[in-house]
Amino acid sequence: MTSRLLAAAVVLAHVAAAALAAPPANAVRAPGKHAEDTCTACHLTLDDARLRAPAQLANSDIHHTQGITCAGCHGGDAGSEDPAVAMNAAKGFVGKFGRRAIAEMCGSCHSDPTFMLRYAPNIPTDQLAQYRTSKHGVALAKGDTNIAVCSSCHGAHGVLQVNDARSPVYPTRIVETCGHCHGDAALMARYGIKGNEIAEYKQSVHYAVLVKKNDLSAPTCKSCHGAHGATPPGVSSVSNVCGTCHPTQRERFDLSPHKDAFAALQEPACESCHSNHAILHPTDGWIGVGEKQVCGNCHSAGDAGATAASAISGALEKATATITGAQGRVDRVKRAGMLMDDADVKLEEAHQSLVVAQVEIHTVNPARVEDQTKAVLAASGAADTLAAKAEAEIRYRRTGLFISLGVIALALVALIIKIRAMER
Amino acid sequence: MRILDRLWRALDDRLDLAPLVEFATHKEVPQHRRSWAYYFGGLTMFFFFVQVATGILLLLYYRPTAEAAFESVQFIVTRVPFGWLIRSVHSWSANLMILAAFAHMFSVYMMGSYARPREFTWWSGFVLLLLAMGFGFSGYLLPWNELSFFATRVGTDMVSKVPLAGEWLLKFLRGGEEVTGATLTRFFGFHVAVLPMITMALLGVHLALLQRQGMHIPEGLEEEARARKPLRFVPNFVMREGVVWLVGLAALAALAAFFPWELGVKADPFTSAPAGIKPEWYFLFMFEALKLLPAHVLGIEGELVGLGVFSLAGLVWFLVPVLDRGSQVGHRSRAFVVLGWLALAYVVSFTLLSFAGVFK
Amino acid sequence: MAGGAMPGSNEGPAVSRRGLLTWLLGTSLGATLAAALYPVFRFVIPPEVGEAPVNRVLAGKLTDLPANSGKIFRFGSRPGLLVRTPDGAVRAFSAACTHLNCTVQYRPDFQNIWCACHNGVYDLQGKNISGPPPRPLEAYKVDVAGDDVYVTRGA
Repeated sequence: MTSRLLAAAVVLAHVAAAALAAPPANAVRAPGKHAEDTCTACHLTLDDARLRAPAQLANSDIHHTQGITCAGCHGGDAGSEDPAVAMNAAKGFVGKFGRRAIAEMCGSCHSDPTFMLRYAPNIPTDQLAQYRTSKHGVALAKGDTNIAVCSSCHGAHGVLQVNDARSPVYPTRIVETCGHCHGDAALMARYGIKGNEIAEYKQSVHYAVLVKKNDLSAPTCKSCHGAHGATPPGVSSVSNVCGTCHPTQRERFDLSPHKDAFAALQEPACESCHSNHAILHPTDGWIGVGEKQVCGNCHSAGDAGATAASAISGALEKATATITGAQGRVDRVKRAGMLMDDADVKLEEAHQSLVVAQVEIHTVNPARVEDQTKAVLAASGAADTLAAKAEAEIRYRRTGLFISLGVIALALVALIIKIRAMER
Repeated sequence: MRILDRLWRALDDRLDLAPLVEFATHKEVPQHRRSWAYYFGGLTMFFFFVQVATGILLLLYYRPTAEAAFESVQFIVTRVPFGWLIRSVHSWSANLMILAAFAHMFSVYMMGSYARPREFTWWSGFVLLLLAMGFGFSGYLLPWNELSFFATRVGTDMVSKVPLAGEWLLKFLRGGEEVTGATLTRFFGFHVAVLPMITMALLGVHLALLQRQGMHIPEGLEEEARARKPLRFVPNFVMREGVVWLVGLAALAALAAFFPWELGVKADPFTSAPAGIKPEWYFLFMFEALKLLPAHVLGIEGELVGLGVFSLAGLVWFLVPVLDRGSQVGHRSRAFVVLGWLALAYVVSFTLLSFAGVFK
Repeated sequence: MAGGAMPGSNEGPAVSRRGLLTWLLGTSLGATLAAALYPVFRFVIPPEVGEAPVNRVLAGKLTDLPANSGKIFRFGSRPGLLVRTPDGAVRAFSAACTHLNCTVQYRPDFQNIWCACHNGVYDLQGKNISGPPPRPLEAYKVDVAGDDVYVTRGA
């Protein structure tokens, strides 16, 4: 009698919990059936929030909705309502996983191409192998259990797909996820890492574009360091890494004497001038050997590099000044009421050539930069000429106006005199 | 000149022109200390003629579709010889015409010229003012730029508040539910055909009445008018009007050259309205007042109340010749003089305050 | 000519003075009329380009566009890209990259459209296939009349 009452109670609890555990009416159901299992049913009813939480996250968890439920990772018997049976170690149950076990456990499915084919054929299966090469993986193998493992970034329960905007590893959220540890300077000090990388990255143009313009193509931590194989790129690979998105600059750099020089000095190429995390918008003022100018990091006044730098800097300054001057003249004329579409097109051309000139900086060859700045000067000159024409037109109109006003004034005077004469 | 004489005699022979000429020229314009106000009406008409002329010229190049309107105005202003002048003169003359019309109306009111027997002149004049504002409102949309698009949207939104006929009126004005290319075509039709036709007819009536009834002398100035010799309409007053019109022409030329009318940005119905959308200045005194009203007044929607008040005010203003009993017998009442000053003060102050940015 | 008329006389200086005044009035009013009518006459004669360029431009000549080549043309104040594919088809797109608006170019060596700024790549249909661009290039309609290539933009 008691056991039947108990069974009934559990079933009732099961039904109630199933009702509670049902997804909200408007949720999109992932393919694969919801496996009803006793684990979530029972855990949802528990008082301890820590034990309840995984069950509450079950319906948003990609594994759970695909049919891989608690037992899929934790083992045990999902069909039994008896905790002693369900969570029996003999049936393979593992409660809380140890750090080292987590990577192996996740990898037991995610590194198995045959298994992954059944669920998501397009997800790579090399994550564990990559992880083992990463700084995190290497440290973990050496026994450091305070290190990042799969669940540190992806979560353990309530795991979302990477392309789900709520996932901690969605591109816009990665820096905060890495920042949980890498933003903690005291923690990083123990590993000889400066700990200011996150703060520096947040000053960068890449971060600004990612977060403000929601440009998902902007690089975040994983773009340069790798996701699972997270390791800083070696000194000799920096230009390769930057070059994946900035191939034109990289091509130009490869043409320059800097390529071999940096390799010989074992200096990281792009990083030496642009920094690695606090990548700011470069300005032409950086070029030179003066204070706060990047060339001076290696070159000194009078040497070949300094000479080239001053030639390049001079050409760019002149080009920029010409554009600014032409733009100002065009703007003034626009304010006076003229429409300057043709001049706008020329200024846009000039601007494009200036951008190309700035890319040519990386060849450190003044002749190549000057080829482009010549185009800038030509286009700005054309815009300037159009502005001058417009100014001439304005003068013509004003002259015409004054002549007309003069004629009207004459007519006025004549009329008034006539009126007076008539009425005398 | 002999040719002209012969031409005249030929026409006179057939049409008996003498009475017509007499009708057109017999009028005498009294002279008193307020007779400077007599020029406002003619000045309004001058600006209207400028509008007709420049408007017809613009018609040679303008295209009334959403796809091409903005570009065609840009074409006129940049590529057509003196297109910039014609277009700027058209825009400025519109504003000067309405300014002159208001000056004319208020001076006529203050001089009490609506009094019997000139009620019809007042009524035709009031409708002419409404037509002028209709010209302004319809014409403002035609360049199809951002400002005019959104100003039209806000302006036409008002009509939907009219009880019973609101929805129908809205669709009639907009050519649909929203402001679209259909609205542009419709406004164009109003602007170049419907309104000009009605205006020409009413203007003819207005002028004919003037000729028939002669000029009104304000109460209290009859002595002075008798003492001073009146001007013959033709040629003396007309020549003086010529002076005033030449000054108006000079003003238009200067404004067009020094303050050319801007082209703006092409209208895009899908962008959100830029901040600070407001109608042309001659609607501001109503616009700002409507904005000041609370959302609901005694349970009725605020804007509807505002609309009602303005309609009532307009009706009262229209019916002034009848409501001001005194004016029917030659002694207009002081109350209406005060009303006139109050109305003028309201219109002027609200317009100026709006410019000063007081109504933020 | 000042102080002309003697009281009572109707000829001589008075007549010539009045004549001068009338002449002056006539001439100045005539000049005013001319000053007003001159712009009107200039206005009514249409300029060289007779139409407002709205949605349609003459982008180039077919003979200037060999197979597997591209050419930048101007559409209003924005750049456009005219492409002749290796098969000889003529296509036109907006040349403004959908990433950050740099001007794209045709790459005959790769037979695709490339943006130099951040290595964005589009295929010959204008579809973004690699790199940061989030959207395809805006495509325009192409009409070939004899040797003339006309490009039309959607409303």
